[in-house]
This record gives sequence, C-alpha cells and structure tokens, in this order.
Amino acid sequence: MNEPASLNTQLLDALLLDYAAGSLSRPLEILVETHLAMNEGSARTMRLLMQIGGVLLEDSEPVSLSEGALEAVMSAIDAEESKIDPVSEIRIETAASVLPRPAADYLPERGCTKSWRRIGLGIFECDISFGAEQGQAKCYRIAPGRAVPAHSHTGAEVTLILAGGFSDETGSYGPGDIAIQEAGSSHQPVADNDGECLVFAVNEGDIKLTGPLGRVLSLLTP
Amino acid sequence: MGLNTRIEHFHLVTEDLVSFTGLMGTGYESGDTLSGSPNMDVLLARVGTHRDRRAFAVLFDYFAPRVKSFLMRLGSDMPLAEEVTQEAMIMVWRRAETYDPRQSGASTWIFTIARNKRIDRLRRENRPLPDLSDPAFAPEGDETADKMVLRREEEEKIRHALKNLPEEQAKMIFSAYYEQKSHREIADQSGVPLGTVKSRIRLALNRLRAHLDEVEGRLEP
Repeated sequence: MNEPASLNTQLLDALLLDYAAGSLSRPLEILVETHLAMNEGSARTMRLLMQIGGVLLEDSEPVSLSEGALEAVMSAIDAEESKIDPVSEIRIETAASVLPRPAADYLPERGCTKSWRRIGLGIFECDISFGAEQGQAKCYRIAPGRAVPAHSHTGAEVTLILAGGFSDETGSYGPGDIAIQEAGSSHQPVADNDGECLVFAVNEGDIKLTGPLGRVLSLLTP
Repeated sequence: MGLNTRIEHFHLVTEDLVSFTGLMGTGYESGDTLSGSPNMDVLLARVGTHRDRRAFAVLFDYFAPRVKSFLMRLGSDMPLAEEVTQEAMIMVWRRAETYDPRQSGASTWIFTIARNKRIDRLRRENRPLPDLSDPAFAPEGDETADKMVLRREEEEKIRHALKNLPEEQAKMIFSAYYEQKSHREIADQSGVPLGTVKSRIRLALNRLRAHLDEVEGRLEP
C-alpha cells in the first residue's frame, strides 16, 4: 500500500471538512464519497466530522418554529404513509461493476468510443456530466507505464485513483488515494507498470500544458 | 424475510436500550427525564421501530429549533430555514428505521439529514438519499449497549475538545460549519495563507482524533 505524502494528508483533511460542512461542488462530493468507500482512515475521519456537526447542532441556540409546525409535519407524514411503496425504497445495485461506487455509476463503458477520447498514446479521457454544477469532472485511462505529458493547473485539481496507480513529483498513489494539485503547480504522472490506471479528476480551472509534448496533446484535444 | 429479521433485531435492540437507560416504566413523556440527549437516541430508535408519534413529537421539540437555528446561522432567512427544517424532520421520520443508536447519536444522525436537505435545496435537485448505514457513516459496531455508552462518551470528548482547541484552529472548524466557507474561501477571506489554513485544520482534527482513539482504545480486549 502506498504511503500518501504528508502534505497530501493535510490537504485531504481540509477536503473532508469541506465535504462534511456541505460546501463542495457535486463532482467533488461524488469524488469524496467514492474515496470514503475505498479508504477506512478517511471514513473514520468523516465519522468524526459528522459527530462534530452533531455536537454543534446540539449546542445551537434553539429558534422557535412557527405555530403549528409539528402539526404541519405530522400531516405531511400522514399523507405520505398512506401512499408508501416499500418496493421503491429498495436500492437497485448496478450491474456487476468492479469499480467502487458512486463514481462508477457515472462512468461510461470502457468500449464506448463516443465517450472515451484518445488524447495521447495510451491515454484516454471522457467528460463526466453533472448538469449545471461548476467544476469540471473527467475520467482518464492511462496505459501501464505510460507518462502523461507534464501540465500545470490554473485551478486546483483533485484526483481520485479508482484502479491501478501512478507516481508523480509528489509521491505514489494507489486505488482509493486522492492526489491534490494546487493551482499553479505542475506535474507529470506516470502510470504504474502492472495495469491500466483509471482516475476520476475534478478540475476547478483550465489545464495548461507545460512540457514539450504539451502542444501535441492540446492539438489532439478538440 | 431479511427485512423482518432486521426489524425484529432492531426491536430487540430498542427494548434493551429502553431498559438500559432506565426509561422504561418512568414514562418518557415526563419532560425532566428528557433533557439529556442519550434519551434522544432512544426516542429516535423508537420512532424507527415503533413509528412512535409521541417519541417523534419530543424529538421534534428538541431538534427542530436547533436545526432551524443552524440553518439561519448558515444564511437562510427565517421562512426558508423553517421550511427546510420541516422537510428535514419529515425525512427523520421517513428514515428513522435505518437509525442505529449503537453507531451514531441522534444529533449526529439528524445533522447529516439536515446537511443533505440543505444541499438539495441549494441545488434544487433531488439526489439519491444518503445511505446512512454506509460504512462511511457507521463503521462496524458490536451488539452491546457498552458500545452506545462509549459512543456517547466520544461525543462528550469531542464537545470538550472543541471547546479547548486553540483559537486559530477552532476558527477554521467554526468557519466551515457555521459560515459555510470552504478552506479555500477561509484562506481568501481571512488573509491566512492556504497552507496555514490546511495545517490548522489538520492539527485540529488530530487533536479530536486523539480523543477518539483514547475512547476506542478501551474497546480492545
């Protein structure tokens, strides 16, 4: 198992706090929820953060509700109970997916050429749509041992590794790890040799290509 | 069959908890026994197992004004805070059967519901309900009431540790929860460098984690 860089751990706590407090964009929420399903340490931290929320809620100075609020809620409940359909409450699992949810729910099939664009040798990307939400989400597939051209980010980029692994200047990352690139930073990820690397990345700004191969990559991108 | 077994299971657990907290026989409607929140956990579990309306009314009286207060603090005006609070409390009723008092306190559980209701409202979209039995929210628990006592103790430790955080660390936590600022916004608006904001958050959470580890350490044989 990879040991995440200590700097990254610091960034992770801040991201998890943002999630608990409810200030992340939808794509980043999906990214964090998937990470929680894959990483026990972060799941424990999230439990702590929700407990903090509970303590702060409990210690809030009560503000009276309007007259008849409880009655209004009870009659809404009554109206609902009469038409409840227990079947619709059952979660339907998606077809045997080896990838962790919930991110897997948003991924297109591997062979779907309409969704996956080839952006370089052994590198594919696809856009993940979250409607009008801000924050650009993409998935990348990188062939074993392949290097992604060096690039920098004008906004922060948060990357969750869904399968395989990669290394860059900040460290090595495996399944479930989150790598965070700060705005203005530059990196060149190289996929591990033992399998395809699949990542889910949320970008809050444009990616600028910095390496010599950058120009080629940008020409390939529509 | 699975569902019946589960209901039966929760039923038994709740009976245990009711007798365990000494609530049984005293009548939970007597207001003075209800000031402490361990009883809120039992009441919420009862709503889940018995669809108990009196228990729900007591929960409502205690939590709805706090949820409303929390939402107003986050910038909702009075009518919107009221509306989202009511929606959250309806969700509390609807989801109560998934509540497990061994794994989270009523306040933590209701916080997550209110958090999600608020986000849904901001987005004006209905996303799937969070799965509160998900390991992310409720790690493995054992079957004993001891677990519940330790869980309560954890919350007291967290409350205590929050009060004793160094000012600059506490500020990060409160800005996140009460002002809805992301760590980036905290950095932008306070003039504190982003790296410092992150390390303060890290230090604060480390302190809180240390308290939890101490409680959990006693669970080991």
